[in-house]
Amino acid sequence: MSTIAIISSFADDTRCAQAIEELRAAQVGNFNTFSPIPSHKIEHAIGRSKSPVRWLVLAGGISGVLAGLAITIGTTYEWHLNAGGRPLLSWPPFIVICFELMVLLGGIFGFFGVLMLSGVPTTVSAPGYDGRFGEDRFGIVVRCEEAEAARVESMLKESGAEEVVRENGAQPR
Amino acid sequence: MAAAPKITAEPSYRDIDRSVLRVMEPAGLAYWAWIGFCFTLVAIAAAMWIRQIYSGLGVTGLREPVMWAIYITNFVFWVGIAHSGTLISAILFLFRTKWRTAVYRAAETMTIFAVATAGLYPLIHLGRVWFFYWLLPYPNQRYLQPDFRSPLVWDAFAVSTYLTISALFWTMGLIPDVANAREAATGWRKKFYTALAMGWQGTDRQWRHYSMAYLLMAGLATPLVLSVHSVVSWDFAMAINPGWHSTLFAPYFVAGAIFSGVAMVITLLIPMRKLLGIEDLLTEWHFDNLAKVVLLTSLVVSYAYLTEAFMTWYAGDPIEQMTFHMRYFGPWGWMYWVMVLCNCVIPLLLFSPRIRVNMRALWIITIFVNIGMWFERFVIIAGSLTANFEPSQWAGYRPSITEIMITIGSFAWFVGLFSLFAKFLPIISMTELKEGIVWLRKAIKMDRVRAE
Repeated sequence: MSTIAIISSFADDTRCAQAIEELRAAQVGNFNTFSPIPSHKIEHAIGRSKSPVRWLVLAGGISGVLAGLAITIGTTYEWHLNAGGRPLLSWPPFIVICFELMVLLGGIFGFFGVLMLSGVPTTVSAPGYDGRFGEDRFGIVVRCEEAEAARVESMLKESGAEEVVRENGAQPR
Repeated sequence: MAAAPKITAEPSYRDIDRSVLRVMEPAGLAYWAWIGFCFTLVAIAAAMWIRQIYSGLGVTGLREPVMWAIYITNFVFWVGIAHSGTLISAILFLFRTKWRTAVYRAAETMTIFAVATAGLYPLIHLGRVWFFYWLLPYPNQRYLQPDFRSPLVWDAFAVSTYLTISALFWTMGLIPDVANAREAATGWRKKFYTALAMGWQGTDRQWRHYSMAYLLMAGLATPLVLSVHSVVSWDFAMAINPGWHSTLFAPYFVAGAIFSGVAMVITLLIPMRKLLGIEDLLTEWHFDNLAKVVLLTSLVVSYAYLTEAFMTWYAGDPIEQMTFHMRYFGPWGWMYWVMVLCNCVIPLLLFSPRIRVNMRALWIITIFVNIGMWFERFVIIAGSLTANFEPSQWAGYRPSITEIMITIGSFAWFVGLFSLFAKFLPIISMTELKEGIVWLRKAIKMDRVRAE
């Protein structure tokens, strides 16, 4: 049995989220959504856990603090720079360096983390993507067996889809 | 430039896209003449800098004891200008402020170019610019290492971190918008936007990670922005020089930075909305709110001026008191009073709601603030150095043509880069404007009611 993609578009995220809930209730799990804005309604309807990018930012921040400590303590011990008899380990100024490096590495890890987890950069277009989904339409692309298609289509239409079309030959991701 | 078609009172997502993308259509001759003018000034400044590198700092007006003057003033001024971008894009994002969506991209862009301009000044100020990397820690065999107790080293870390994080935060916000521009573009522009968008398609997976990372980046950028100008202020406050050595400096500088930065945002946006025909997206409501931030920070800065004077009097240090006496009534006293007029008195006009939405009046007021804030930095930096501990060392300072032309060139560099950005990348965030479309609709309605 071949797999097909059913592409549906919605005028707003409320109806799109409603359709997602219907699909999940009907155990149709192989779908992808597109939207012009980040939508909490869609995110809640999909019901995924929080993005792991937060752990990457935390890891970056901790690495930054450790790098700051290493660089300040390490170089001070290496060179024994006596500045007016101040203690070699001058914590208050070192905190500034640690803080800046925490923010720097936290931000870099966050930025590249989001790229990595989002699958960009890529030259491959997700099946069913349409330029309108970046402009003003919310899209759901369902991949299912041909036998299931009619049921999925009617579910999408009933949830308020403006347009439902089939695309043959789509490969599951 | 042709008049822009008005968008409806109830704009849709598509209206927002069209209005923003229309700005990015190919520019006319007047635009390129303007860019040419800006970069001619930059070229003159670059030539002056090359001459300075070749001849040495003797071509400047820097003489003992005033070894920090216009270059460092410009550095602090531009770092300050940069602050509004992160305030609007990160701090107001965390507070979920509704009016930030239309102005944040322009403010953030200003941040990037202002830090890029500021970053040039420590280099320009160096006598031997080819040794700039000595400020950074790296293994070497010459017994050279940065002293981490020095605020100048903190500055190198803070400003470079600020530039990096601002650039990443800005790039992140741009990705969905550039992907949108990609769909509408043709020819080389399509290739350009396709490359910049990196294959973004707005899938649920992408938005999920994006939203979380954006929130966390805003959380990181918020203390960063406060730290950067604090660190810049410590370049002065950590020195025992009279006029500089004060614990007031960090909050004083941060408030001043936000004050000057938001004023600069208004100065740039008022002509820009007119020239680019985006008056319906940048409404009077947005400017009203920006003006309130200027007013608030003006009051904070005024309070800091009074506190500074009070602390000098109360501490009873005769040398500090003499420095302040010179600051208020010495040969450069007029600069101090220009600064007070521009930063404390003129912004009081913004208490009037009518002036806050009068674009011409607001523009003029913010130009005064820009002038006042430049003078503030000059008075603190160069002014304090003219009257040091030893009266026998007291001396004046007169900027040379090199310093003046490099200063003018840096303004041209900033404005030129900003103008280039406005025409090639989305100057207003379509994504965020769509998210807050309800507020945009309200703002447009308020503007139209007021106009009638």
